[in-house]
Amino acid sequence: MTVSKLQISETYQKWRKIKDQLTRYAVVAGGLGVIVAIVLIFFYLMYVVYPLFIAADAHALYEYELPEKAAGKSLYLTTEEQNEVAVRFTDQGKAVFFATETGKILKIQSVIPEDVKITSFSVGTQSRGNVAYGLSNGNVIIARHKYQITYPDDKRLITPQLKFPLGEQALQIDPQGQAITHVAFRVNDSGTTVVAITADNRVLLTNFFKEDSLFSDDASFERVNVEIDVNAKDIKYILLDKEQRNLYLASSTGRLSMFDVSDKERPLLIQHTELLNIKDTLTSLVFLTGELSLLAGDSTGLVSQWSAVRNVSNHISLQKLRTFKVSDYAVVGIDAEQRRKGFVTVDAKGVVGIYHSTAERELLKAHVTSVQPKLLAMSPRANVFLLEDAQEMIHIWHVENEHPEVSIKSIWQEVWYESYPKPDYIWQSSSSSNDFEPKYSLTPLVFGTLKAAFYAMMIAVPLAIMGAIYTAYFMSSGMRRVVKPSIEIMEALPTVILGFLAGLWLAPFVEENLMAVFSILLTLPVAVLLFAYLWQYIPKDIRLKVPEGTEALVLIPVIFLATYFAMSVSGSLEAMMFNGDLIRWFNTEWGIGYDQRNSLVVGIAMGFAVIPTIFSITEDAIFSVPKHLTVGSLALGATPWQTMTKVVLLTASPGIFSAVMIGLGRAVGETMIVLMATGNTPVMDLSVFQGMRTLSANIAVEMPESEVDSTHYRVLFLAALVLFSFTFIFNTLAEIVRQRLREKYSSL
Amino acid sequence: MSSEPVRTHAIDMSAIAQKNQPNKGMNETSIQIQNLNLFYGEKQALHGINMEIPKKQVTAYIGPSGCGKSTLLRCINRMNDLVDSARIEGKINIEGKDIYQPGVDVAELRRHVGMVFQKPNPFPKSIYENVAYGLRIQGINDRRILDEAVEKSLRGAAIWDEVKDRLQDNALGISGGQQQRLVIARAIAIEPTILLLDEPSSALDPISSLKIEELINELKETYTIVIVTHNMQQAARVSDFTAFMYMGDLIEFGDTNTIFTNPEKKQTEDYITGRYG
Repeated sequence: MTVSKLQISETYQKWRKIKDQLTRYAVVAGGLGVIVAIVLIFFYLMYVVYPLFIAADAHALYEYELPEKAAGKSLYLTTEEQNEVAVRFTDQGKAVFFATETGKILKIQSVIPEDVKITSFSVGTQSRGNVAYGLSNGNVIIARHKYQITYPDDKRLITPQLKFPLGEQALQIDPQGQAITHVAFRVNDSGTTVVAITADNRVLLTNFFKEDSLFSDDASFERVNVEIDVNAKDIKYILLDKEQRNLYLASSTGRLSMFDVSDKERPLLIQHTELLNIKDTLTSLVFLTGELSLLAGDSTGLVSQWSAVRNVSNHISLQKLRTFKVSDYAVVGIDAEQRRKGFVTVDAKGVVGIYHSTAERELLKAHVTSVQPKLLAMSPRANVFLLEDAQEMIHIWHVENEHPEVSIKSIWQEVWYESYPKPDYIWQSSSSSNDFEPKYSLTPLVFGTLKAAFYAMMIAVPLAIMGAIYTAYFMSSGMRRVVKPSIEIMEALPTVILGFLAGLWLAPFVEENLMAVFSILLTLPVAVLLFAYLWQYIPKDIRLKVPEGTEALVLIPVIFLATYFAMSVSGSLEAMMFNGDLIRWFNTEWGIGYDQRNSLVVGIAMGFAVIPTIFSITEDAIFSVPKHLTVGSLALGATPWQTMTKVVLLTASPGIFSAVMIGLGRAVGETMIVLMATGNTPVMDLSVFQGMRTLSANIAVEMPESEVDSTHYRVLFLAALVLFSFTFIFNTLAEIVRQRLREKYSSL
Repeated sequence: MSSEPVRTHAIDMSAIAQKNQPNKGMNETSIQIQNLNLFYGEKQALHGINMEIPKKQVTAYIGPSGCGKSTLLRCINRMNDLVDSARIEGKINIEGKDIYQPGVDVAELRRHVGMVFQKPNPFPKSIYENVAYGLRIQGINDRRILDEAVEKSLRGAAIWDEVKDRLQDNALGISGGQQQRLVIARAIAIEPTILLLDEPSSALDPISSLKIEELINELKETYTIVIVTHNMQQAARVSDFTAFMYMGDLIEFGDTNTIFTNPEKKQTEDYITGRYG
């Protein structure tokens, strides 16, 4: 054997091998990096979302004997904001402030004058700290527990105070001086209303309102007295809402009468309702925060939520929204959280449960005491609850309950919200007040997302695929070289510009020229087809001047003419057929409302954004169908059209399918266009004239205003997770189908 | 094969005048090429071709690569129309009709002039649908007719026994040689009168190649066959007449035996004896 004359350097060989290896590692690292990034995003979303679904946690903090038993039995127990100071109001009219941690007495103050007896007690809106004592002489005194925070020596010092918002003088409610057996009251800036039942079973409503004197700083109270005509004999519970509008009177059998007292001079009976089954006993009746709904606990361990609901004919009635099975034993106490729609219950066996009304969730059950419980109180921040039992022990527990508002049901199913006529899917995440019931239904957002994508695909798919077919298969190569990059460059157009144009130009244009838009949709295809038909009758010498494959150019003036024609006749057509106003015609004839920023506008704008994606991939797929298949079909006597439909489209189907799926994925995830071109109203309406709010737009709109780590924030992440899964599913599905189809046609 | 396709001809062949050209044993002329020039843009690919291709015989085109034999073949069913820059002068008469006349339905022409390409090109459909394709595009969808035609064509292409149990399988799953015979079955399913074979066995292994040659022998009973081949042994084995082309010119056309044993032109002899090409 002769040695080759070529001197192949060994180091070169080695270097070549190293380069090959390095490239391989780089490619593997890159690919893995992408997968890891996606998995990390997924897990991060999960990590943020996860706390929404964990149950609450609670543990005992302190336990001690009731402080200052000599001051009387407790009627009401609560703490201040920081849970450092607790207070109990006693049946001797004393407010006993004590340290929550140790039970050490901080202050004892008497609320009532010396010479009267206490005959009833009531708590106002808890967050305001007002309580009222009904007295044996027909008077009522309203007191407020307040806490002053100072920082002497840089240490927080909370000083409890007792104030009398309506003066230290008791208010005379019953001119006849009968003892007040039950009382309810609400104080606000515009006035105070007290509803009281006297020992002789009269129900008295008294409204005090401040009258500022022009000449002095003194304010005098004007008052209105009314006696409500109702049998007060069995009434055990009276509740008045904070707006001083609705009054509820309930007996221990669960018979409830609801009055409209917005006109203080003319209270109006709205209805009588039975809250419970026969034989059951009402053991607790409290407001949920916001005081729009009532929680009724009974002797069988059920808690039901009732809310005044306005039906279609504007008639108000009390409806049972939902029921919680809290225990097998009687519900002894219920206390509502002050800032969320949650509540805490305790049953006769000392088991405390924490619930959330909207989410219908049971978050916690804890056995706190084996002694019959007496009083239950949730702290203002809902992080501590206090329980006093029959042996006068106070149990103080810490509660970890960050996100009770969300459950699978409240996200996906219809929820009956307070004051809503029926269960519904609502997204309404926040308002300015704590009383607001957050409505976290993702269903309308998912619906909006799919609706926007659907209308966009309606516009984009036919145009993009037909265009791609023509470009790839019929167009001359010279023209194709211009057309394809032009359409692909559309993809580089920032969607914010498209959204901007759609929202500020297209939406008003469509609204003003709706008839013209419809006429164009109808005229264009007809005109194009008609022209294509007439083309063959055009004299040959003119026809042949247009090179084969560039006939589409001739269509451009046709399209302009057809558009102009449609625009110019639309006015008279609208006058002739639709009384001159198509939008109003739709409204009166079909009851279809018109939103300026609607699905039609979104469909056009987002369709425009999706077209390049679908077009480009479809065009590639069709163009890359092997020539020998087309030629084979033509050689069998098939016409170009037959070849197109029966061989080319079939062979290109994997590519076309994935083009559509990728387009769909893009339409689902698209943010700026839907943000700017829809009204962002989370309504569930299929109508093409109605707007929508999509998951992506919702995240963009609300993320900046949501507090980090709040429930709202986490729900937005959940929306992101849903969106992520959507696009993930669409793309995976597309990939699987494409792989399978490709396998089928692999040996081409 | 047991069932040979039965052919009927709509066009009366006797009307076509017998021309001089290749002589003995010639019966009727199927394809008459007159003074055919073909240009790809500025470049002329065929120079004044004149020939008469006899009916129900096998005519082979041989010649070195780029000599224009495939181009000439593709003129017969107007496949060159698909090439943007191709321009044709002259006439091709098939059974007396000029196929380049305006108003000729190209799809209809191609139905009568079937073609098989170098690379097997079954459609990504089932074996059955591949064969039925030509009929379906003619609007024939009757299951019975299709079944019958599929079987007849597959038998005609000598592949029936190999695929009869898997007609619904994807045609891309069978071997290259089978695919090529399937493609022939597909071509004869629409009952053409002429079959153009463009190097039908050059992409196949020797055994498959041999099978194709046997098939050609059988098919010539029914069809006029024009075959382009690189393989001179093949041309010698399967064809009755041979045309030698060089640089776009038809150098010599005649009886295969004569061409291979006693060519008139020196160029032909040089090519056949392997001096160039």
